[in-house]
Parts: sequence; structure tokens; C-alpha cells
Amino acid sequence: MKHNACLLEAVNLALMSEMRRDEEIVILGEDIGVNGGVFRATANLRDEFGLKRVMDTPLAETMIAGVSIGMASQGLKPIAEIQFMGFIFPALEHIVCHAARLRNRTRGRLSCPLVIRAPFGGGIHAPEHHSESTEALLAHIPGLKVIVPSSPARAYGLLLAAIRDPDPVIFLEPKRIYRSQQQEIDDNGIALPLGRCFTLREGADITLVSWGAMITETLAAADALAKQGIYCEVIDVASISPLDLDTILASVRKTGRLVIIHEAPRTGGVGADISASVAEQALVDLQAPIARVTGYDTVMPYFRLEKHYLPNCQDIIEAVNQTMEFV
Amino acid sequence: MKYFKLPDLGEGLPEAEITEWHIKEGDEVTTDQILVSVETAKAIIDIPSPQTGKIAHLFGQSGDTIHTGEPLLEFEGNNENDTGTVVGEIPQASGVSTHDEFFIGAAPSSHHLQTENKATPAVRALAKRLGIDISQLQGSGTNNHITPRDVEKAAQLDKAHGKSEPLRGVRKHMALAMIKSHEEVVPVTINEDVNIDSWPAGTDITFRLIHAIAQGCKTVPEFNVWFDGESLSKRLHKTIDLGVAVDTEQGLFVPVLRDIGNRNQTDLRKGLNLLREDVKKRTIPAKELQGATITLSNFGTIAGRYANPIIVPPQVAILGAGVIRKEAIVMDDKIQIQRIIPLSLSFDHRVLTGGEAAHFLLAVLTDLQQKKI
Repeated sequence: MKHNACLLEAVNLALMSEMRRDEEIVILGEDIGVNGGVFRATANLRDEFGLKRVMDTPLAETMIAGVSIGMASQGLKPIAEIQFMGFIFPALEHIVCHAARLRNRTRGRLSCPLVIRAPFGGGIHAPEHHSESTEALLAHIPGLKVIVPSSPARAYGLLLAAIRDPDPVIFLEPKRIYRSQQQEIDDNGIALPLGRCFTLREGADITLVSWGAMITETLAAADALAKQGIYCEVIDVASISPLDLDTILASVRKTGRLVIIHEAPRTGGVGADISASVAEQALVDLQAPIARVTGYDTVMPYFRLEKHYLPNCQDIIEAVNQTMEFV
Repeated sequence: MKYFKLPDLGEGLPEAEITEWHIKEGDEVTTDQILVSVETAKAIIDIPSPQTGKIAHLFGQSGDTIHTGEPLLEFEGNNENDTGTVVGEIPQASGVSTHDEFFIGAAPSSHHLQTENKATPAVRALAKRLGIDISQLQGSGTNNHITPRDVEKAAQLDKAHGKSEPLRGVRKHMALAMIKSHEEVVPVTINEDVNIDSWPAGTDITFRLIHAIAQGCKTVPEFNVWFDGESLSKRLHKTIDLGVAVDTEQGLFVPVLRDIGNRNQTDLRKGLNLLREDVKKRTIPAKELQGATITLSNFGTIAGRYANPIIVPPQVAILGAGVIRKEAIVMDDKIQIQRIIPLSLSFDHRVLTGGEAAHFLLAVLTDLQQKKI
């Protein structure tokens, strides 16, 4: 069945679809039941699936993660919502020390088919702790998959894949683009692969690599640059961990130029890791230094300065022009 | 609106006390109907309804204090005040629905591996310093990467013998056309001498050659075709458009003299002179260099007797004429001194038979041997 949906509604659609298909799925989190989630990602699920499968929890992220891991290791498929990614830190001890290593610890006897959803990123004028992009923290942990969708259709397909994955997946939803784009989504239950990039634009001159909400600015920059005669290949990383380096390398081998765009701070960011891997494996293919367009190494500012912090379309165009001009 | 909030009642008052509700939950109200009376520090004020609707919920009882901006009552059904977030603002779609387009993994064009001209930044820097274009080099390093030694060798070669210069413009075009011809065409060349001793003094040699080619094409129309080697198909032309090779210092130009089968001598000569002048001045429009159906190369204006003229596809024939000479010829059992023009006819054997070529040549000869036309 086809729906016109924004990214948020696509998340809801995937949850609804998969919960109907698989009775082992339960969801839990703060305000997700009666209220339908603070962004309405879980709207109507409580009515359809009832108290036992759609559970409102206290404001206790440690407990949400702990309970989820317990359920996952014993045969259920919990999907936990952390209301904002800034609130995930009390849950990290459980996620890092247990969820991520349960399979390894038990030598495969127990797995942890758990999805932790969290809205993340800036750009909605939210207060402190509500705007950070800390995907790199989680991508650094072996045993976790970290997925970031950037369109409604890919959010639908990737969330289905995350739920069906037998190991813990952190599913980070870029809330700035929660409702900014409508797409026709076929609610056909077909998942997209985890661990693969998506090439959104084909181009021969330069490779632009980004993910999440920044894909919006990256595509806008690619459009503007095409008018200048610079054709960008735009790659949506989508799977921060495991990273699909093959796709990025294939593109860089073609274009010889790479700009990485992310909202998170530069130091220790995922862009640094992509940059290092490309330099290691494709040094002789590069025609120019790899450029990064990122947030600053500062505390995410309050909303008045937020737009100065977030990379914008012009920043990307300038980085591309500098890279193209390098001889 | 879903929630009706206590409006600013003026005078900067921050709060008001509900004195009396005039409606109750479940009532249908209309715009401007009085909903509630509130008492501020200064007066009792009746508050009218901002809209028509059904009251879902009243916030507060008589005697309760409500602050400006706090909800007074909730209307039923209307959801527009649900911003879908507890903090900030979520940007909304413009309403246009798009189709999600992507490749899973790499773009198809990324699968074509580019293997040439690979060099580390240090080698590129070296090449830049020594003025070497690495795209011209063959790499001898790991995975055919260009090494510092490759660059240095190229620099030494340049130093000893000067830089190699790439062909440009007309010469580059000629090179490519000749390569294409060599790859495609199966050429055969026939040579023959024609006795033109009967020509009166001052005969326009080029015009006679043009006329003879036209006669040849009229006799064997298969010479006036374009042949497509890919699809093995030929296109027969109604008019004969002759490419005339003109040699200049810049290179070889072949302007096209249109419809030589139907134009008189004065007209053709005028047209040919114009083309030659335009070529020499480099003002000839590109379209005047395109569309020839057969070609004449009159190298006899310089030197040379016979040649194997090269056919430029999609044409299938070219006639070359060498230097006119006097030769001792046996005529009527006597040795006579006669003027001779040597011809070289190349034809594409994929399209034309030897017999057709011989008939074409015969028609050309016959035309040229006439005293006047």
C-alpha cells in the first residue's frame, strides 16, 4: 500500500508494518504510548498493539536500555526510543558494556536483537542537550551498528532492516528533516541493506559524502555546482557503522576529489575516519586534499547561534571550489 | 485553533480570575459568543469566542486564576496547534512529494576503473616542478603507478630532444580521420594515364577533372554513396558533392563543392575560387567542410605522379591527379610526344567491385580524352 509520508511518518509506518508482521516486537520509551512520542513517531501504535507491546516508561534511560537488553536476550525484539539523543548517556553503560558484546561474551549463545531509536542533530531551535550529533561516539563501539536515514523512503527501508537485524542497532533520526520532505512510500515490507551507502547523484568531477540532515544542504550544493559545470557524485553514507568504504572508494577512484560533510564536531568525527581510510587506500587516486565541512569543536550553541554552527550550502560550495581548484 | 489561551487583556496585566463560565463542556459556540467573564485588578471583562466550534474542555473553575497565555479552553477535533514536538520547531515539507531515487552502493559509472596516470602527491609535485605532464607517461611502479624515476626519465628526454607537441585543430582532425579510415576502409587503388594532348591551350584542368568525376558518378552511381561500416548499409546520393583537397600551411582542408553534376563551368570555377579563398583566409564555415560524397585530390599542382589516395569514410572513393607531363607515346605506329595526366583512383572494396571501379575509371578517361566539353 502506498503512502505519502515524511521521514517521521515513514518511521511510524515501518514500526506499524513490522509490529503487525512480528509479534515478538515490543516498543518502549518515554511518552511513546498514550502521547505517541514527543514527535509522534509512535502515534497510534498503543491503540493498535495495546499496553503489553507499547510501553510508556519512567524518565529513566538506564532502565530503558537495561530492560531492553534483558528482553532482547530472551527472545523478544525490543525497540526502545530515547526521546532525544542527548539523553542516551545514562543508557550507554548498558549499550556499550552489554548490548554491544552480548554475542561475543556468550560465544554466540545469546544475541541482542535490539533497536534503539533516537532523534538527533540540530536545527530546530531546541534547548540545551537536544541538538548534538554524537554518532561518532557510538560508531566507535565494536558490536553496534549505527544507522542514519536521510529520506522518508530510506528511513522506512532501513528501520525495517534494523529491526530484523539479529544484533543491536542504533537508529538515529535526523529530526531537522523529520517533516521537511514528503515521499511516496510503498509499505511493502521490503528492507534496505544495512552497511551500504546510497549514491544519490552520479557525477564525475567530485565526490560529496554526507549523511542525515546534511544531505539536504549537500544536494542543494550539488545542484548549484551543476549550474557552474561541476558535477558532484553525492553519497549518503546511511550506515555510519559498519561503513561501506567500497562505495566511497569506487567513487573517489573515479572523481579523484572528496569532500565530507557532517554536522557533528570535526575532531574525532566520522569524517576523520572516512578521510583516513580513503587516504590509506586511494592515495594515488586523489587529485586534491580531502576536505571536510563540519560543525565546530565547541559546545553546540543555543538556538540563536545555531545556524552559524551548522554547515550550510555555501560552506559546501566553497569547499568544493577549493578542492576543484587544487592543482 | 485547538487551545484558546487567555489573551492579553491590555494594561500589561499578567493574570485574571475566572468569575463565571457562560458555556460548558460539549457546547457548540459561535464566533464572538461570550465564553467567560474574568476579573482583573481593574475590571470585569467578558471574553468572546475567537471561532465557531465545540468545547472539549474547560481549564479552571470560577475563582481560579489564569495567567496570560495559559489555556482557557480546548476546542474539539482541531489539531493544528500540535507542532509535533515538545521543544523547538520542526520544519515542514512544502507539500510537494518526491520520489526517492538512489543506487544502493556505487553509481554504475564508478565501476569503470581508471587505471592510468596514478601517482602519489610527491610524484605529482616532482612532475610539476620538472614540467612533465604525467598523463603522457606510462607508470612502471606498483600497480603501474608513476614513479619518480618515470618522471625524471621523461624530463631527461625532453631536455635532450625538446618537448613533444600535441597535434591541434586541422592537423589533429586529419590524424583522427586517417586513423578511422585505416581502421575501417578496405582500399584498392587503380592507376592510369590519360592522354590530354588534344586539349586547347588554357584549358581549366581542375574543371575538367571535376567534370570527369561527375561523368564517372553518372555512369556508376554506386561511387556517389556513403557507407556505414557498422550497419553495413549504404546511402545513395542524388547530387554529387565533391570534396576538393586544398593544402595550406596550417594543414589539409577539404571544402565541398556542391552539386557538380548540374552546374556549368563558370559557376563551378567561381564557387571553387571562393572556397579556396575562404580556406586560405581561414574564414570558411564548418558546414562548407562537411557532407562531401566523393573527393578530388589534385596534388599535380605541386609534384608527384601516382599515389594511393586515402578514402575518408563514409565516402567510398577518391580520385588523385598527378603532375601533367609530356611522354613519348606510340600512336598510329608512330612515336609521338603527347601530354599525359596520371590518375590514381582509390575505392572501398567493401562497397564497390573492381569491375564497377574499372567502369568508373573508363567513364572518367573517356570524358578527359575529349578535346572540349
